[in-house]
Amino acid sequence: MNSFKRMTYPYIIWLLVFVVAPMIMIVLYAVTVSGNDTIVFKFTLENFARFFKDADFLRVLFNSLRIAFITTVICILIGYPTAYLIAQQNENKQAFFVLLLTLPMWINMLVRTYAWKGILMRFDLSSEFKVFVGMVYNFLPYMILQIYTSLSKLDKNLLNAAYDLGANKVQTFLKVTLPLSVPGIVSGITLVFLPAVSSFCIPKLLGGGEYVLIGNLIETYFVTTGDWNFGSAISLIMAIIIIISMFFTKKIDKNQQED
Amino acid sequence: MENEKKSFTSNLSANLWLILIILFFYLPIIYVVIFSFNSTKSLTVFSGFSTQWYQKMFSDRTMLEPIYYTILVAVIATIVSTVIGTITSIGLSKQKKLVRELVLQVNNLPVMNPDIVTAIGLMLFFLSVNIETSFWTLLLSHITFCIPYVVLAIMPKLRTLDDNVAEAALDLGATPFQALTKVIIPQIMPAIMSGALMAFSMSFDDFVISFFTTGTGVSNISIYVYSMSKRINPSINALSSIIVAVITTVLVLVNVIPLIKSKKPVEKDINKKKGSFIPAVVATLAVIIVLVSLGFKSTGDFDPIAEFGSDTLNVFNSGEYIGEDVISNFEKKYNVRVNYDTFTTQEEMYTKLMGGSSYDIIVPSDYMIERLLKSDMLQKIDKSIVQSLDTLNPGLIEYMSFDPNMDYSVPYFWGSLGIVYDCTQVEQQEVEKYGWELFRQEKYSGNAFMYDSEREAFCIAFKSLGYSMNTSDDKEISEAYDWLVDMDKKLNPSYVTDEVIDDMCNGAKAFALVFSGDAAYILSENENMRYYEPQQGTNIWIDAMCIPSNAKNTKLANVFIEYILSYDVSYANSEYVGYTSPNLEVAEVLSGEEGEYFENSAYTPRTGYSLDETFVDNESQRKKISELWVKVKLN
Repeated sequence: MNSFKRMTYPYIIWLLVFVVAPMIMIVLYAVTVSGNDTIVFKFTLENFARFFKDADFLRVLFNSLRIAFITTVICILIGYPTAYLIAQQNENKQAFFVLLLTLPMWINMLVRTYAWKGILMRFDLSSEFKVFVGMVYNFLPYMILQIYTSLSKLDKNLLNAAYDLGANKVQTFLKVTLPLSVPGIVSGITLVFLPAVSSFCIPKLLGGGEYVLIGNLIETYFVTTGDWNFGSAISLIMAIIIIISMFFTKKIDKNQQED
Repeated sequence: MENEKKSFTSNLSANLWLILIILFFYLPIIYVVIFSFNSTKSLTVFSGFSTQWYQKMFSDRTMLEPIYYTILVAVIATIVSTVIGTITSIGLSKQKKLVRELVLQVNNLPVMNPDIVTAIGLMLFFLSVNIETSFWTLLLSHITFCIPYVVLAIMPKLRTLDDNVAEAALDLGATPFQALTKVIIPQIMPAIMSGALMAFSMSFDDFVISFFTTGTGVSNISIYVYSMSKRINPSINALSSIIVAVITTVLVLVNVIPLIKSKKPVEKDINKKKGSFIPAVVATLAVIIVLVSLGFKSTGDFDPIAEFGSDTLNVFNSGEYIGEDVISNFEKKYNVRVNYDTFTTQEEMYTKLMGGSSYDIIVPSDYMIERLLKSDMLQKIDKSIVQSLDTLNPGLIEYMSFDPNMDYSVPYFWGSLGIVYDCTQVEQQEVEKYGWELFRQEKYSGNAFMYDSEREAFCIAFKSLGYSMNTSDDKEISEAYDWLVDMDKKLNPSYVTDEVIDDMCNGAKAFALVFSGDAAYILSENENMRYYEPQQGTNIWIDAMCIPSNAKNTKLANVFIEYILSYDVSYANSEYVGYTSPNLEVAEVLSGEEGEYFENSAYTPRTGYSLDETFVDNESQRKKISELWVKVKLN
């Protein structure tokens, strides 16, 4: 099995070059002050202090997390039954449904969001509701696909065993199916929550511009103000918060599996 | 019997649920298809059936190329990242826990980071190792952010695999390679496929990372659509509809027909899934490549290389900011090829140039030209080639304090900032009485559009308070901030950018802050709309053609500038876009009795008014107001 380990090395090198090296540059920017085009290494934590001292920035951060959290919950609530029902179909139909779900992904996300804008403007809805529709629409397929993947490989014998041992449908679902699909839910959360926190096109288009989320803030500092130092600091703060929240999600996953 | 009944009803509700979900997914798609047949440009109001957007799409090479690159990059990135991702995941599952967790954490970085951070990081990286951005940097970047999704999709499935099966295969004499391909990979095939799909859709939809890592002349659909947002047009819907039609056809052929033909269950489920996805991709790719090759037509016996030393020109302009045939006519006339790229904001363009992108022609605004001059990023115009500067409006040149002799910049379009109002909802006297203060009248609460840009918002606040919009005075800036916070509270406007054009054409709100050129278009579409430049003064802006110092085709760039200045081209350009031509004669004819913009007040912005100003480059003000603008919107 040792030979399999070696299969990791090419990607480790890839990660070092194309992920770690660029991140180091971002970190460097976050802990230095702008030296006007030439890089002057003057280390400081001022960029971070500036963020945490400001109630407005903190509110943006909180709001982004809240919206991403609610989006994720809605995606699980809609996505789980959908994935479950698809996994119940015969294999031909399963493949068909998966393709049906992925077909809309061939349309550019912006074009789809513009279409939602046109549809939703006909109804008198709050801009927050519109943002949620756009977010759920965009991220739901990822949740469904992840949960479906973990449900589709479920060993049917386990279910039969549960029935044989006298469990009813609800009990079987709660004690067997659900726990075994937790890994799918967790990777679904990763694929929904993370991009949802930093998404900025959807809130911008559907929320009518009043919606400033952390992604918009970072974009402002990188592109409009050109203050890459502060922009980098905000990105790092966000990355750290996300790492912490993912750590807790993984914990839940592990606890589930140990049960 | 009873059981059967029960399962029938539960089947019914299950199917109903799935149908509702599918409807939810296809609602916007149906909408896109319907609007691809709209007879006007609007994406929200359907006014009649027409196939013009399909014709426009097929005749427009600048539209076909992005399609080609999008598919090409998405397909290659998907294949490469799926292969690397699968190999890595399997390797990781056998790795020590520490190594595995570490790699997975790093692997998560591109997923967790906002796209803009990944984009800037990669751009800085390419810059620091001296790799010029090109198709290859775009592809590398896409592979980089696609692999993590593949790994994320495969790892959970691998964790549930029984290790003993692979061990058994090895014990029974299989080589590690055989164990891999015969035992492990078949078991995780559905996960590999869903990872591949994920990678594909991420690559297909990406805008920000592509924008900052692509080279000159290589754009994808997202870049094209984003920069088209200036005046988005339904040809993008036509394109989307064609993609849907092609894929649906292929899927129907591959999936449904065998389903009807033979009712026997297909056991090779895995191969089937793979088998139906790949032909879809291949067929689409083939269609696209045919379309694109139809778009490339090279004619003429003029030798541009002998004449200009090059046969390509790289142009970087705002989206939807050029007449329909201007580029293709230039290509025909000189037998050259033009790579036409677009940007959405000045700052985006600047960042891109800082990232080392090389263009021959860029079209920045006044203050940005000043900033580029300060950083020594422009080169002189060759006035032995550019000879038609005397056709330009002398009243306009007075505003060119950043480059009074036009040594580095030649005006392209110009205009003002003003209020577009619906005269059935707002009285003319009222607009004239209040000027910019109209934006603080509570009775219009919720019934107005504010342009979502710190520069324009602060401009009207400064002007309303009687200050210069180029002030650096902290007290004046903070007063302007209070003015805007008050505006936000009293008016509660919708903050918009270019969608304001479509919305005002449809009379969505009573008034809006709009640039004169967009106003001219709105006025020509909706007869109730009026344009007004307040007496408190406004911003007069000029967008001009410049040649960056790192341009490679300088001579051809000068020829291009001279070509744009010519009467016919200026006319075609301005007539189509609606922005005011700096060519005096063209502007007069277009606003004259026979012209497209007769009696359209927005087409002829005022000049010579003492309170009007152009923006100058002011770094400290720029940083302050962009931070304050975020806070205004948060209030």
